[in-house]
Amino acid sequence: MAFLLRRIGFYVAAFLVAATFNFLLPRLMPGDPVDVMFAQAGTALPPESMEALRATFGFIDQPLPLQYLRYLASVFTWDLGLSVKFHPLTVNEVLLRALPWTLFLVLTASFLAFAVGTLAGIHAAWRRGGRFDAVGAPAAVMLQAVPPLVISLVALYVFAIALKWLPTGYAWAPLLDPGWTPEFVGSVAAHAVLPVLTLALTQLGGYVVTMRNSMINLLGEDYITLGTAKGLDDRRLRMAYAARNALLPAVTSFAMTLGAVFGGALVTEVVFNYPGLGYTLYQGITARDYPLIQGQLLLMTLAMLTANLAADLVCLAIDPRLRRA
Amino acid sequence: MTAPLLSVRDLCVDYATGDQLVRAVHRVSFDVGPGEVLGLAGESGSGKSTVAFAVARLHRPPAFVTGGSVHLDGVEVMALEGEALRQWRWRDLSVVLQSAMNALNPLLTIEAQFRDLFEAHGVRDRAEIRERSAELLRMVGIAPDRLRDHPHRFSGGMRQRLVIAMALALSPKLVIMDEPTTALDVVVQREILEEVTELRRRLGFSVLFITHDLALMSQFCDRVGIMLKGELVEVGPPAAMIAAPRHPYTAKLWASLPGLPAPETVP
Amino acid sequence: MRHVASTLLANPKAAFGAAIVALFLALALLAPVIAPAAPNQRVARPHEPPSAEHVMGSTRMGRDVLSQTLHGARTSLAVGLAAGALVTLIGVAVGVTSGYFGGRVDEALSLLTNIVLVIPNLPLMLVLAAFIGQAGPWVIAGIIGFTSWGWGARVVRAQTLSLRQRDFVRAAELLGEPALRVIGWELLPNLVSLVGLNFIGSVLYAVVTEATLEFLGLGDPLVVSWGTMLYHAQSTSALQVGAWWEMAAPCLTLILFGSGLSLVNFALDEIANPRLRTIRVKPDLLALATGRRPA
Repeated sequence: MAFLLRRIGFYVAAFLVAATFNFLLPRLMPGDPVDVMFAQAGTALPPESMEALRATFGFIDQPLPLQYLRYLASVFTWDLGLSVKFHPLTVNEVLLRALPWTLFLVLTASFLAFAVGTLAGIHAAWRRGGRFDAVGAPAAVMLQAVPPLVISLVALYVFAIALKWLPTGYAWAPLLDPGWTPEFVGSVAAHAVLPVLTLALTQLGGYVVTMRNSMINLLGEDYITLGTAKGLDDRRLRMAYAARNALLPAVTSFAMTLGAVFGGALVTEVVFNYPGLGYTLYQGITARDYPLIQGQLLLMTLAMLTANLAADLVCLAIDPRLRRA
Repeated sequence: MTAPLLSVRDLCVDYATGDQLVRAVHRVSFDVGPGEVLGLAGESGSGKSTVAFAVARLHRPPAFVTGGSVHLDGVEVMALEGEALRQWRWRDLSVVLQSAMNALNPLLTIEAQFRDLFEAHGVRDRAEIRERSAELLRMVGIAPDRLRDHPHRFSGGMRQRLVIAMALALSPKLVIMDEPTTALDVVVQREILEEVTELRRRLGFSVLFITHDLALMSQFCDRVGIMLKGELVEVGPPAAMIAAPRHPYTAKLWASLPGLPAPETVP
Repeated sequence: MRHVASTLLANPKAAFGAAIVALFLALALLAPVIAPAAPNQRVARPHEPPSAEHVMGSTRMGRDVLSQTLHGARTSLAVGLAAGALVTLIGVAVGVTSGYFGGRVDEALSLLTNIVLVIPNLPLMLVLAAFIGQAGPWVIAGIIGFTSWGWGARVVRAQTLSLRQRDFVRAAELLGEPALRVIGWELLPNLVSLVGLNFIGSVLYAVVTEATLEFLGLGDPLVVSWGTMLYHAQSTSALQVGAWWEMAAPCLTLILFGSGLSLVNFALDEIANPRLRTIRVKPDLLALATGRRPA
């Protein structure tokens, strides 16, 4: 489909921009780019590793365009170099270790927020001016205004420190050995409750508002009026005629706010010491592990693009007008 | 003199804005006989669509029907509520709206939309639904195998025909048409109105025809009502109205049309 | 413009929100005068809970939390306003140019906007800030400003495109008015509520993002702002040792200020998009109308 190809082309372009950003950043900073990038490495890395690392990032003895190509080659073969802080691990290994935790966190929280938020938004819009809408809509907007940072800190303090209902951090109790034992799984679950609920809460407002506004924008449409005139029952009208159509802009809007979700996940992980990509990034920043930081950016950009592609596919599935105009 | 099919008496519709109720329609009364086409003409804002919506029970707050009565085939329309209201909808009275573009749900096939309609009115048998839907499409000149298509695959004129087919699905007694052809090309407009006339001849339904196009109205309607600022100022056959208007506004309205052809009597 | 402002203030939600924002601005401006102590001065024992003497308690270093909050407001709000203005400025400039001129210019700018939108904001800013080192508040404002304008640009472009088709714009063009004049006199006045929405949203975003970046350790720890307060509280394990007030103060201000801005935005949104307006029919009117019959 032409639509899909155009979108994929755009995503490749966006990824290139991120990679270019990574390439230019150390070279634009004052001082020797190599020093800027690898200053923290100090003597931690053996000379051969240092050489390989420099080559990966295009710091070869060649003019700039060739350096750029060398770097792109690394990126497109997904060679992200060695981690400075977590030496001797490669950046890939560090990221791969953290990825499952972030995926778990983000997917669970997003699904929860989406389910609750969308249904609430539909309900609020359908019964405009009713009590649920009058209270719920401004509440959702105000919830959106509360920074994820604040929600995380408050949740941490209230539920983990003051009430001591839930653990204060990490993905599982430090003394347990990882494995598929009920003990371990239980611990993981317990440690996931606060981060997941917190992250879900940060997104909830957004879903409610988006779906509500989307629905309201089309409630004046003729096919809704006609649907009522036809005597269609309320549920069918609300779901198949209103909500389904409202879903399209809502899905697109969701894809675009995904960046904020990553930001929220990042903050939540740091507050709860949850060993995902966000926490790893934080550690990398503290240690000025630039290979790790840059690799992280690429990975997160890739994740964003994939999520956007998924949203495109959902739209394609729902909207017959996009298939072969 | 046969009893009227639709009887509207002293209909009043108000809009609640800020601190007051603003009257949009004031004590409008008229009848529509069985098989008759009554037109409602007037400028934008005259209240003609408001009257139509009120009769079809389509108003939502902040619009309210605050007075008068509407009787359709013996049923007191304003007294219907809840499930009775839902079931009454479309059975005796159906609606064709202006914008053919948006009258159909863009995400469902035509077949699904017909099915929704039939199922909402107690017809569950899939085979019967398909049969009736196909028949309706044939009636408006569209091939039945196009039931599987989505609305965007049809041209504007064809979409309006689909909407008309849907309006006739339950063999209503009265069809309200609110500017049904305004968004279409002139040639298509003609065709559709001729088809509606033909269908009327066959099926015998009445039409309440809302438009601002006087020329169209004079050719298509048995009687015409002129609305001005929420009030019905004159009702009568178009020919008589042009020849001897009783209200100054009526005279102005008809005079504003250059070279109005002698209205044909609609068979 | 005046109409928008007066309609806005007539809305109770907006009025309340505006009052909160005004209060914060006033407190920030008056901080040097009304704060009981200098923000970095040791005036109490470490981690003293709130008391009559120190209404918000003291930090690990014995500094007065209330004073820090008030002085911190100056930095946080200044950065918020500056970054918000930058985001809005770039967004409007790109959006209007793209929407008005169309063609190649539009294609190029739209591509740029979409790319900026699709690359995740916070990781991008983190990478930038990490390379810069300890970023002072103005550097942070710049970082936020130059990376977050995408959303505004897109929204403004859409509105410009629809306005462009309107008669009064075409008339101005036919009369031979230069593009800049058409944009300045015909288009921009009609974009006021949209730009206002954009600006307020951007300020909120900027204040929160600044606090987040500083919390993560990318700011200058010597600066006093709500974000650095959180950073210091975190690095001295304030929560863990039970000194909740050190975290609570900046959290509270962020929530309150954010809510204030949000309420104003919510009301502005209803003005810009009339469909979203909550149709409130006054009860006596409702009774009058339905005393007879519902529609």
